[in-house]
Amino acid sequence: MRHESEAVAANDSETEHAKAGYSRTAVIVHWLIAVSIFFLFASSWWMLALPLPSDVFTYREFPFQLHKNVGITLVVLLAILLYVRARHRPAPPGVRPWMQRLAVVDHVVLYGLILAACVSGYMSSSYSGWGTTLWWIVELPNWGYENEELNVLFSDIHLWTCWALLAVAAVHISGAVYHAFRDDGVVRRMLRI
Amino acid sequence: MSSATPQPGGAGPAWQSWLGIVAIVLGVLLAATHGTEWMKQRVLINATPADGHLPAAECPEDELIEEGLSVAECEQLVSNVRSQVVSAPPWFPGLQSMLAAVGTVLAILSIGVGAGLIERRGWAPGAAIGVFGALTLVDAASFVAAVNTGPILRDVYLWNVLLWFFVHLMMTLGAAAGRASTAAAAS
Repeated sequence: MRHESEAVAANDSETEHAKAGYSRTAVIVHWLIAVSIFFLFASSWWMLALPLPSDVFTYREFPFQLHKNVGITLVVLLAILLYVRARHRPAPPGVRPWMQRLAVVDHVVLYGLILAACVSGYMSSSYSGWGTTLWWIVELPNWGYENEELNVLFSDIHLWTCWALLAVAAVHISGAVYHAFRDDGVVRRMLRI
Repeated sequence: MSSATPQPGGAGPAWQSWLGIVAIVLGVLLAATHGTEWMKQRVLINATPADGHLPAAECPEDELIEEGLSVAECEQLVSNVRSQVVSAPPWFPGLQSMLAAVGTVLAILSIGVGAGLIERRGWAPGAAIGVFGALTLVDAASFVAAVNTGPILRDVYLWNVLLWFFVHLMMTLGAAAGRASTAAAAS
């Protein structure tokens, strides 16, 4: 009898836990986005130190295509994340109001910067005259003609939105680490596996 | 409930939450590092001429303006690749690619293990010891590989690999010690 009541209690606890957390799709997409963003930072710092492209030097070809492909995929992942989060809203985490407000602002700015960084990167590429083949399968249309000034303009926007994204991601990670060290259950909402 | 009793999705020993978040954050960063290293080796292998000889840099003025580079910097970009190529023994790119690929997979696994620790899954402490221990071995193998290259690659790799080695060693021992103390408290 005691075993049965313990099993029911454990089941209730799991159900409550599931309600409090994000959906499994949101969790998977969130971590894919996290790894993709840091891969894009690490790989871009390296690839920009490769020799300038020419008929002889083709070092940049693969890394730049991959960079653009991961960036475009990131926009798709972001759209999926926003969609599933809109469909499944977990219960509020039960933190102080100012923390809740900071978390909302941080998420909105984070999503905005991811989108801005990806779009400005793609626009810069379009105006550079270099084509983009999505995952080496689909030839994407260039949104712009070859224009050096617009290429540099969007490249600058890409650069600064990326630096801002890194700063806001650091705030985001700081919040997650703080809550994990407090062990208050907030981080568990994004860890359903 | 005892704080030492693991409970899925609930309370449990604090060390699991602390080690879990460290594993997740470092796992994300390490997946990016190893992924980039894998790509780096593949690109250097595929784009370098078979004889290993690199011609002089080509530095058109419009490209220099676009990239914000001086002619000297542009030439140095080619020199940097040349120094990597001449300092790498023939076996190095293949071994480094393999270690980077294994490291990427283990780094992604460590994100899952970190989540399991925070969630107080029963399998998580044992898996943490296995995954963090495997990452420590990958670091040790990378260190030994870099030691046996030239001074240029030793300068590039040794210190970074040593830092990761000690980080993963501490995480492995932390997981082992945490599991032992949790078991002792429960018995």
